[in-house]
Amino acid sequence: MRHPKDVSRRQFLTRAGGAAIAMPSLAAILAACSKPGESASGSGSASEIPIATLDNPVELPLTAETIPADTPLESGPLVLYNWADYIHKKVVEEFEEEFGVSVEITTFNNMEEGIQKVANGQVTPDVFVPTPGYLRRLVDKQLVMPLQHELVPNLEAVVWPSYSNPGPYYDLKANYTVPYTIYTWGVAYRRDRVSDEEAAAAGWDALWDPNHAGEIVLYDSYGDTIAVTILRNGSLDVNTGDPALITAAKESILETINENQAALKINGIYAKLPAGDYTVGEAWSGDIVGAQWYLPKGVGTDVLGFWRPPTGQTMIGNDLLVVPAAAKNPRLAHEFINFMLDEKHGYDNFVNWNGYQPPFTSIDPDKLIDDGVVPENLAAAVVTEDMFKKDLTPVELPPSVDQLWLDAWAEIKAGA
Amino acid sequence: MHGPRSRPVPEIAASTHAEVDAPRRRGKRRRGRAAEKQRTGVWYPRWYWPSFITPASISLLILFVLPFYVVFSVAFGSVDFDNFGIAVPYYAPWWWSFDTFNLTLSKFYVEGAIYQDPLIRTFEYVIAASAICLVLGYAVAYYTARFATKYKGLILILLVSPFWISYLMRIYAWQGLLDPDGPINWLLSPIGLGQTNWLEGKSITVILGLVYGYIPFMILPLYASLDRIQESMLEAGRDLGGNGRQTFWRVTLPLSRPAILAGIVIVTLPMFGDYYTNDLLGSTKTSMFGNLISVQKEAAGGSTRAASLVLLLSVIVMVPMLYYLRETKRQAEQA
Repeated sequence: MRHPKDVSRRQFLTRAGGAAIAMPSLAAILAACSKPGESASGSGSASEIPIATLDNPVELPLTAETIPADTPLESGPLVLYNWADYIHKKVVEEFEEEFGVSVEITTFNNMEEGIQKVANGQVTPDVFVPTPGYLRRLVDKQLVMPLQHELVPNLEAVVWPSYSNPGPYYDLKANYTVPYTIYTWGVAYRRDRVSDEEAAAAGWDALWDPNHAGEIVLYDSYGDTIAVTILRNGSLDVNTGDPALITAAKESILETINENQAALKINGIYAKLPAGDYTVGEAWSGDIVGAQWYLPKGVGTDVLGFWRPPTGQTMIGNDLLVVPAAAKNPRLAHEFINFMLDEKHGYDNFVNWNGYQPPFTSIDPDKLIDDGVVPENLAAAVVTEDMFKKDLTPVELPPSVDQLWLDAWAEIKAGA
Repeated sequence: MHGPRSRPVPEIAASTHAEVDAPRRRGKRRRGRAAEKQRTGVWYPRWYWPSFITPASISLLILFVLPFYVVFSVAFGSVDFDNFGIAVPYYAPWWWSFDTFNLTLSKFYVEGAIYQDPLIRTFEYVIAASAICLVLGYAVAYYTARFATKYKGLILILLVSPFWISYLMRIYAWQGLLDPDGPINWLLSPIGLGQTNWLEGKSITVILGLVYGYIPFMILPLYASLDRIQESMLEAGRDLGGNGRQTFWRVTLPLSRPAILAGIVIVTLPMFGDYYTNDLLGSTKTSMFGNLISVQKEAAGGSTRAASLVLLLSVIVMVPMLYYLRETKRQAEQA
């Protein structure tokens, strides 16, 4: 029979063992909480890099060396982190074939999700597709690597010269980015239910029209939908910090949701409008061009329409291709970027499935229509270089302003 | 009620009592051990039985207690707006800041109270859906346990079969069925409901979606309980003069009460946190508590608020949980 003291000694040992296991994590926790205030300054911007606007273009500092141009090709697989349904599978397969690697496509549903997962390392892609509004912080947090331009010759050879010299306002000299696609904002509609004249007369107000109740769709994306509503409400201040404008936009959005059953969807235009679920919707130009591949059999592309406000009264933008700093296949990533900027592949991606236009000098807007590549009824969805000089540009919002937008959106989503 | 269900409680109670008191009173422990040896013929060291629960305790610690602590640390922490609003958890309680938590809480009753509607809605939906689950589930379980005889196995398989297909797939199927041009509206058109847009944010759609998603969890415990009620109990009820209905109300129903409680707890707890049913079948007009969390989690800088909402939700779901524990304890004492 054991002496009770044995038991307690054994217990002690067990407990000590447990404590030994627990200790390292406890130490990590204590280390993590030793100075919580430092990185949590919140409003005070710790970054040296100013927010880029058209009037204040920014040359982003180089946070690392570019990879040498003679870096050997990695064996992959190349991880592409992209919006859902935002690249033509066939073009990706051609890349796989040419380089003998596989490409893994991981998708996000909205920009916030994509950025968060890259920032906290949940996803470590080789190529990522952000919008310019996040670039400054991506560079500041050293989450993207500078591009080795020798490996991306197509940027200068194929893309509009303004994207390499002087470079876009958010990335002068194109230190980090190349453009993936360009697009504008407007109203997409079903021409079998709304005539072109009606759509043009209504403009943005079509999204508030009780006649379309139950058949209106807005993007489930706070930046886009609030900015469009600001335009609809008669202001051109699409980067506003004015609480009155933001509140008014919030109330307008709630109004069309509550009274017209407007839906918030990300695939409303390219997938659901061609299926007939919606009659009108807030649309990125590329979505409505891509919608033709989602039409049911037997329905012609002439049912799709796109209204764009007069030049200077809507927004223009582009998406980017970047190589995250944590990329495991940086050389392959450069090759992929260059591949997508190739005249043939980029064009193929645009006209055969994606619907989003690349800013290539070889693409003649008039010819797109003449050749029937873009249906004539979607002529307004074709983007020209001129628009970038005259239209409005949504830029990064300072944190305090962004919070106003997010709060308004949270209220909309809460169904208040 | 003493019936076949009542367990041999006194015996177990006696032996655990001896175990608990053992370390302090050696003499008694020896007697207890001797008694147990006499009773069962086997003696196990003290750590033997507790060791059975160790793996579960460890996983509970790693998978529940630690993550829950992290939720506290996020809720009472901060966010780094320069880093895309990613959460900066404060792990040390002495750094905790309750500003965001208080702000979040205040949105339930001041500042336009934007969280009030979703909160009330959540209660309405959960109560309605649980009630429907209970009524429908009880009928199915009762039939299966009492009358299904040779089809019992088949019915049980059919009840479990939806789990072979992912919930997401099944809800997508419902989206197709409930489409304005879909089969449901086609069926309803003779009674003039063929134009209904079920997916535009209708409470009834979300409630039925919840019922659809959770009703098997209600049926299974009910069935298990009803199936164990012995025929002799019902016969006794009849012998004592009760007709069928009286026997049901005074014998069957009281005997299945613990299962009803268990079923309700099992379905309401996840319903309170459900957000995907509404995401897929509703709209912002039918936002539930879970949707508030998911929206904040996705928004830049919203993690702190999302975590605060998680804590508040935990408090809410603790109410049915505590009630359940109290009831089962009371029943155990009665038995």
